[in-house]
Amino acid sequence: MSVFDGFKFRKVSSPIHRLDPRVKFLYVCVTFTVAILFIQLIPLLLLFLIQLPMILAARVQREWMRSMKGSAFFAALIFVMNALSLYFYGSFDSVFSVIERSLAVTVRFLVLIASFSVFFLTTSPDHLGLALEQSGIPYDVCFAFTTAVRFVPVLAEEAQTIIDAQRARGLELEKGNFMSRVRKYIPILIPLIVSAIRRSLELAEAMESRAWGANPKRTSLYVLKIGRGDYYLLAASILMLAVSLYVWFYVPIPSLS
Amino acid sequence: MEIIKTENLTYTYPIGEKPAFSNVSITINKGEFVLLTGPSGCGKTTLCRCFNGLIPHFYNGTLEGKITVAGMDVTEHPIHEFAQHVGLVFQNPENQLFALSVEKDVAFALENLGLPREEIRRRVDWALEVTGITDLKDRAPYELSGGQQQRVAIASVLAMKPDVIVLDEPTSFLDPLSAKKIFDVIGGLNRELGITIILVEHRLDLAARYADRIIVMDEGKIILDGKPREVFSSEEARLVGVGIPRATRLYQILKGMGLDLGGVPITSEEASKMVREALTRRAPSKNPLGRREAGTQVLPAGKVGSKNVIEVEDVYYTYPNGVEALRGVSLKIREGEFVAIMGQNGAGKTTLVKHFNGLLKPTRGRVLIDGVETRGVSVARLARKVGFVFQNPDHQLFCETVEKEVAFALKNFGFDEETTRKRVDWALNILDLTEYRDVSPFMLSGGERKRVALASVLAWDPEVLILDEPTIGQDYRQKERLMNFIMQLNAQGKTVIIVTHDVEFVAECKPRVILMAEGKILADGDPHKVLTDLNLLERASLTPPEASQILEELKDVGVDGEAIDVYEVSRLIMERFKSGSGVENP
Repeated sequence: MSVFDGFKFRKVSSPIHRLDPRVKFLYVCVTFTVAILFIQLIPLLLLFLIQLPMILAARVQREWMRSMKGSAFFAALIFVMNALSLYFYGSFDSVFSVIERSLAVTVRFLVLIASFSVFFLTTSPDHLGLALEQSGIPYDVCFAFTTAVRFVPVLAEEAQTIIDAQRARGLELEKGNFMSRVRKYIPILIPLIVSAIRRSLELAEAMESRAWGANPKRTSLYVLKIGRGDYYLLAASILMLAVSLYVWFYVPIPSLS
Repeated sequence: MEIIKTENLTYTYPIGEKPAFSNVSITINKGEFVLLTGPSGCGKTTLCRCFNGLIPHFYNGTLEGKITVAGMDVTEHPIHEFAQHVGLVFQNPENQLFALSVEKDVAFALENLGLPREEIRRRVDWALEVTGITDLKDRAPYELSGGQQQRVAIASVLAMKPDVIVLDEPTSFLDPLSAKKIFDVIGGLNRELGITIILVEHRLDLAARYADRIIVMDEGKIILDGKPREVFSSEEARLVGVGIPRATRLYQILKGMGLDLGGVPITSEEASKMVREALTRRAPSKNPLGRREAGTQVLPAGKVGSKNVIEVEDVYYTYPNGVEALRGVSLKIREGEFVAIMGQNGAGKTTLVKHFNGLLKPTRGRVLIDGVETRGVSVARLARKVGFVFQNPDHQLFCETVEKEVAFALKNFGFDEETTRKRVDWALNILDLTEYRDVSPFMLSGGERKRVALASVLAWDPEVLILDEPTIGQDYRQKERLMNFIMQLNAQGKTVIIVTHDVEFVAECKPRVILMAEGKILADGDPHKVLTDLNLLERASLTPPEASQILEELKDVGVDGEAIDVYEVSRLIMERFKSGSGVENP
């Protein structure tokens, strides 16, 4: 399983999945802003903890853990790089505060990943497309977006089949120096491109046959409706932003060291 | 009342040198079920594209003659106006679904038309109901089987409430059971809703029973047009290689042997009913009927050696995404054997054969090729022994010329130039491709591309040849050629393994059959045993061959034995006649 599974939509029936993607996106933006606002460990840790109930409510903890595990390496890297540079070039008086600051930066990174992961795990591409559509973006663009999402798994599978077919004809991708290895991808790229072109033609044909562009005023089967849950999340987001700003302006944040 | 009318219609593609079809004049009436058939490349798909204006509006090219659909001149109205009258369903289910849920896909056309939301909702629910996929409405298309996807495609054109639905080989990627379900759905639309159906098909055994009328095309011309019984019993149909139903074929064979059933059957039920009637009608005759012996197909059988080329020992395989595709598979394949691995899509057939050339290594258990365990051996080394021809030739063709394509693997395996040249010549020759040596593989037809792919594997003369779904998208003639070719290779001592769900093809080749379902082997043995066991077949989502269906209905009147093709059935029937005793209670 790859890190990407931590960002791939998972169909679960949960209150978080039912939320309006626009409100969810706003929530992610607020989380981002707050995370950027603070550099101290305590508020960032709090922010990280706030994400947890949402993940549990969405019942995607396993997938979410995957995105966390996947980013563990980068998190460690960020921690080490920060610690080293702050220690040698920073103006901190103790090693402990260097560690605290480096940890804070690392947690900030994790907060960003965590909220992004929750958003993508709980928002179906269909809903996302719909949100784009109802935000006034031209339908052609939204359609291109959802179609791209729809065909990612199909093309990935096709690429694997092509690789298998060529390996079965004795192509050894892992052998040789860099240049010859690059050249070895030609037998894979050409069939993939040819097939993608053929596929797009067939898609266009099917679209035309289903009255594409018949009416400049297209209806949409679904309408996004702001529900009660959305108001709660909206209120929570605004409250979070307000509290953060208040704290940022008026409350001195205690340091652990 | 006519719904589609063409007069001297001729069309040439922008890049075509000669017309794809010429002087086509047909009238299709409201409520008809028309079966359009003919060999690959005969122009049937092109003709279908005219019915909703894809030609000339989407494809350009030159269209001559007259065509009106639902009273509108096709050249004068845009495609989307025809979309509401003529729904097109295409061959590949994958490339005609756009949305990320079934419901949204079915709504797609209605949304484009800008219908009111309540109306869309009503029609979507209705279309889902009629095609029997209401319970799939929230699923994503890529989670569905091919058969389910194709039903979504039908529902999505049905939602527009068209007068005509045109289906271009909608079942070529499907297993027999899913194909039958599709035909049932289409038949229902025609019968209950009065929708005109134009179905392009090669699988006439299953489709013929629904049709009121059959149109046969060849080389861009309509050569036959009439009632199924007339068309199938005509000499021309046989000559152009239309895959006439096996029931009709049985009638012809019996007639050749001196037994006239008195009518032309087109389904297995009809055939067995007629044979049954003939048995009761005819007094036992003293002089044997047979003017000549049944035209038995003499199949060259390969010599099976004693060495095991492939040994699979309790193999489990789990894909990285967690799907358990093989669950304890054990089998042995001996040198020179001819084996068919059968089962529905997702049964684990392809996963299993990918273990034979090391593309996959078992999660548990082991696979031995020529006594060598595959773990730790490179695909390139195993591929030298085990050649694998993939289902879709477009997944491997990439060179500028056919010659280079065939030489590609030989270069990878490090053959010297002299040998490479000889091998290429040999492979091109036996697959009848020598004239295309310097042509780009992309310029060839589908059937020819398939042959190039086969040649490119055969060139290095592997001991074992694996063919993954070799019959998909092939017409009757091409299948017959393929069968002869495979039998010939096997007779020369090559071990041949085919992966397929084409029951009729297997019934005619008669290889050893390994039946799979849910990652396990259900049965392994003689096709006469495996393909007639209804219980097993049902578990593997396959249908018995037409011939054994006919036989099954005749068991109680004393026609008994094992038969999976029409020649065998005809022989049993004749024996029953010769045995003399009449039938007391039919």
